[in-house]
Amino acid sequence: MSFKKNLDRLFKSNLKRVLFTGLLILILGMVLSCQKKEEEALLKIGLPEEPKSFNVWLASDSNSRKILSQIYQPLYTRDPKTLKIIPWLAQKDPVFNKEELSYTIKLRPAKWSDGTDFTSDDVVFTRKLFLDFQIPGYASKWKVIKKLDVIDEHTLIFYLKEPSAIFLSRVLTTPIVSKKEWEQIAANAKKTEKPLRTLQNHVIEKPLGTGPFMLAEYKKGAYVYMKKNPYFFGTGKKIGDYILGPYVDSILFKIYGTSDVAILALKKGDIDMFWWEIQPGYIKDLEAQPDIEVFLNEKNALYFLGFNLRKPPFDDKMLRQAIATLINKEFILTRILQNYGSPMHSIIPSGNTFWYNPDVRRYDVGQKDEDRFKTAHEMLKKAGYTWDKEPVISDNGIVEGQGIRLPDGKPMDNFVILTPPADYDPKRAFAGMMIQEWLRKIGMPAFARPMSFNSLLDRVKGKHDFDAFILGYGKLNLDPDYLRTFFDSKNDKPRGWNMSGYNNPDFDKIAKKQLSIIDEEERKKLIWEMQEILMEDIPYIPLYNPHILEAVSKKRFEGWVEEVDGIGNIWSLCMVKKNNGYSNNMDKGK
Amino acid sequence: MKTKKIIFNKLIEITILFFIILTVLFFLFRAAPGDPVSRMVDPTLTPEDIQLLIAQMGLDEPAWKQYIIYIKNFFSGNLGHSFHYGEPVSNIILDRMPCTILLFTTSTLLAAFAGVFLGKIAAWKKGSAIDNVLSIGALLCHTLFIPWFALLVLWAFAYKLGWFPLGGIISPELWINDTSFFIKMLDVLHHMFLPLLTLFFIHLGSYLLLMRSSMLGVLKEEYIITARAKGLSDKVIRNKHAARNAALPVITSVGLSLAFSINGGALTEQIFTWPGIGRELIFAVSNNDYPLAQACFLLITAVVLIANLIVDLLYAYMDPRISY
Repeated sequence: MSFKKNLDRLFKSNLKRVLFTGLLILILGMVLSCQKKEEEALLKIGLPEEPKSFNVWLASDSNSRKILSQIYQPLYTRDPKTLKIIPWLAQKDPVFNKEELSYTIKLRPAKWSDGTDFTSDDVVFTRKLFLDFQIPGYASKWKVIKKLDVIDEHTLIFYLKEPSAIFLSRVLTTPIVSKKEWEQIAANAKKTEKPLRTLQNHVIEKPLGTGPFMLAEYKKGAYVYMKKNPYFFGTGKKIGDYILGPYVDSILFKIYGTSDVAILALKKGDIDMFWWEIQPGYIKDLEAQPDIEVFLNEKNALYFLGFNLRKPPFDDKMLRQAIATLINKEFILTRILQNYGSPMHSIIPSGNTFWYNPDVRRYDVGQKDEDRFKTAHEMLKKAGYTWDKEPVISDNGIVEGQGIRLPDGKPMDNFVILTPPADYDPKRAFAGMMIQEWLRKIGMPAFARPMSFNSLLDRVKGKHDFDAFILGYGKLNLDPDYLRTFFDSKNDKPRGWNMSGYNNPDFDKIAKKQLSIIDEEERKKLIWEMQEILMEDIPYIPLYNPHILEAVSKKRFEGWVEEVDGIGNIWSLCMVKKNNGYSNNMDKGK
Repeated sequence: MKTKKIIFNKLIEITILFFIILTVLFFLFRAAPGDPVSRMVDPTLTPEDIQLLIAQMGLDEPAWKQYIIYIKNFFSGNLGHSFHYGEPVSNIILDRMPCTILLFTTSTLLAAFAGVFLGKIAAWKKGSAIDNVLSIGALLCHTLFIPWFALLVLWAFAYKLGWFPLGGIISPELWINDTSFFIKMLDVLHHMFLPLLTLFFIHLGSYLLLMRSSMLGVLKEEYIITARAKGLSDKVIRNKHAARNAALPVITSVGLSLAFSINGGALTEQIFTWPGIGRELIFAVSNNDYPLAQACFLLITAVVLIANLIVDLLYAYMDPRISY
């Protein structure tokens, strides 16, 4: 009996020891395996949501695009400092032949991430893919090409149907895909009933690109792991002002469901960067952290108040001008944006210095509240507006007007300013409320109404069933051709981009003309003229251009490249390197 | 024989109900403003591009035609492709479901067991300090605001103390290396702890209160007095005679909440970045991904209907007085 007891005890105590040792080994293993990766330069980036697809023709969410922009590369790109178009997969600037209307382009000797050569055939194939499948967003741009001749493996000639100002900036900046990767997929898709959908629904597990990184592993719902592309054409080369890396071995994209948690992860050092805009409310706390660096950059964005010009009362230019005078942009900027932004006076943001026209008509600048109201009041009176009870504006304040009547004597109907809801974008929702208050002071029956983003777009863009709205474009192209897109009368149709229904034949003419002017200085004159017309007719009142706020951890990496729209760009990922000194200090500190 | 017939009738009832819900869901999503491409505010997309995209998704057909196609596909086991993932919806759901089931089933069961156990004690010692502490604690748990509590838990245990990871289901740093299966399993458990803790406390309150009040009712029954008169010990009366009967409503409640747990506490999943059905549901609805949203809701419908049936049957089995 006692022998059995002893055996039992021995066994139990041994079991405990074995279990304990096992657990220790486990923990040690976990720690060691983590550290092994730390030695490699593994950059960890937080994403606000999971990328939805690695099929470049389907992916429309910003997180998929962040990943894909490291893989698929265009022939030309923009220099982050000068914002000029520079060769990327192309070797040098294109050679333009005016008579033939052709561009000769020489390609860099580059390889796809599987080691095969990148050649002219890939460019020809990409074009064919765009046109065969009418790929949205690409086919319409590439239509301008009449013919594409292959001279040799690395030389191509693009013949255009007509001169195009945006050929370089919009057409040649689209990503080129590999013939090897897509040929079979495209051939199979073509045989189906819905070829484009089949192409888009093809699941791409390992996209083949020429960019600095390639997809190594994707665990659904958890992470995306990218490794340095050993064949990246830019490595060691000076492009723009940068000698490109990548200087990190790999990137790990981790997902955080809310900004709160992602920022905790950044502060804790779980991630080195959070690739998403940070709301101003977090900034004070982040700036107080010794290991965190906050980046503040201009955006190339446009937030505006738009009108429905198709019906009264906003078909009247004078009314729109008076409203533009009433809006206190300075107030919106300082109070609602907490100074994280710049005021906008033209449809083109002032940061886009080359195209921005600083001399357009301005409505509210440098006036006190009372003066703005006085000016607007006079403008309206002059245009024939009357009131049942006129507003009284004196230095002591404003007594609200009541019963405003249109020039034809009819009372002005209640009108609604649609805004996105506060949980989607508090800035636009609050700006709408402020505008409502200013308009009411002068007697206009304005009602700001936050509405779900889908419904708002459906009403404004789809059905044209609205009075006024506040919307924004978070990321405009640097090429100003969007002026044409937004205000050409041809685009005034359901789902078209001319949401206001602006119709000015003079404007249309200039808009069409600028598209074919290749000389930039000459084109600039027209673009400036377009901005003047728009600010006179004022279908949109530009309100503000918010800054983009981003944060990184300084503990392990440095060298982020800032440009318009922030540090989340391919240049940063090509330039970021391990911050050895800092990291050693940290270790000593521990 | 009779029971079989009843089950059969119930099954038919459920099937009809399922198809009514399917139909309502189908038209409800299409009646909502906007469509899958309306959110693509990309000025490079021309109206023609948008029209093409809509046609490729099959949304240019009249709604009734789309419905017939959907039903046809449904019977051949095809729930369609997600508009945003481009993958068959069934793949996405099969991928997400285990995560949701793992977390929510575990937390519901744990909370139910703890709730029954503590509720029993609270009722038995009604009016004592233990009862007060448990009842007030349960009320607190029951009224917790989930996002706030979840963030607090993360802040304290993951950020300040650093004992647990800040959300997610695995540590990518471990998984990109060749780590053994056992370590990966431990890693998942490590990640599961905080969301489990949060959900446990959130569910615990209601089970405890339910059990307590049900037990109090049972304790007044005459058969309990009889049991006491027979001279049975307190423990036997409490555990065998009272608690068993008192647990019936808790079982119903657990059954149903297990079914509803399929949709995952969307908020909990969002904050803990738990890759379950709840997060997918939010995404699908807010981005008008009809096939994905419909499939998520249909899954919930099916599970809730079946759970209802099971609970009904279980009731009859546990309480001989109930018969159909």
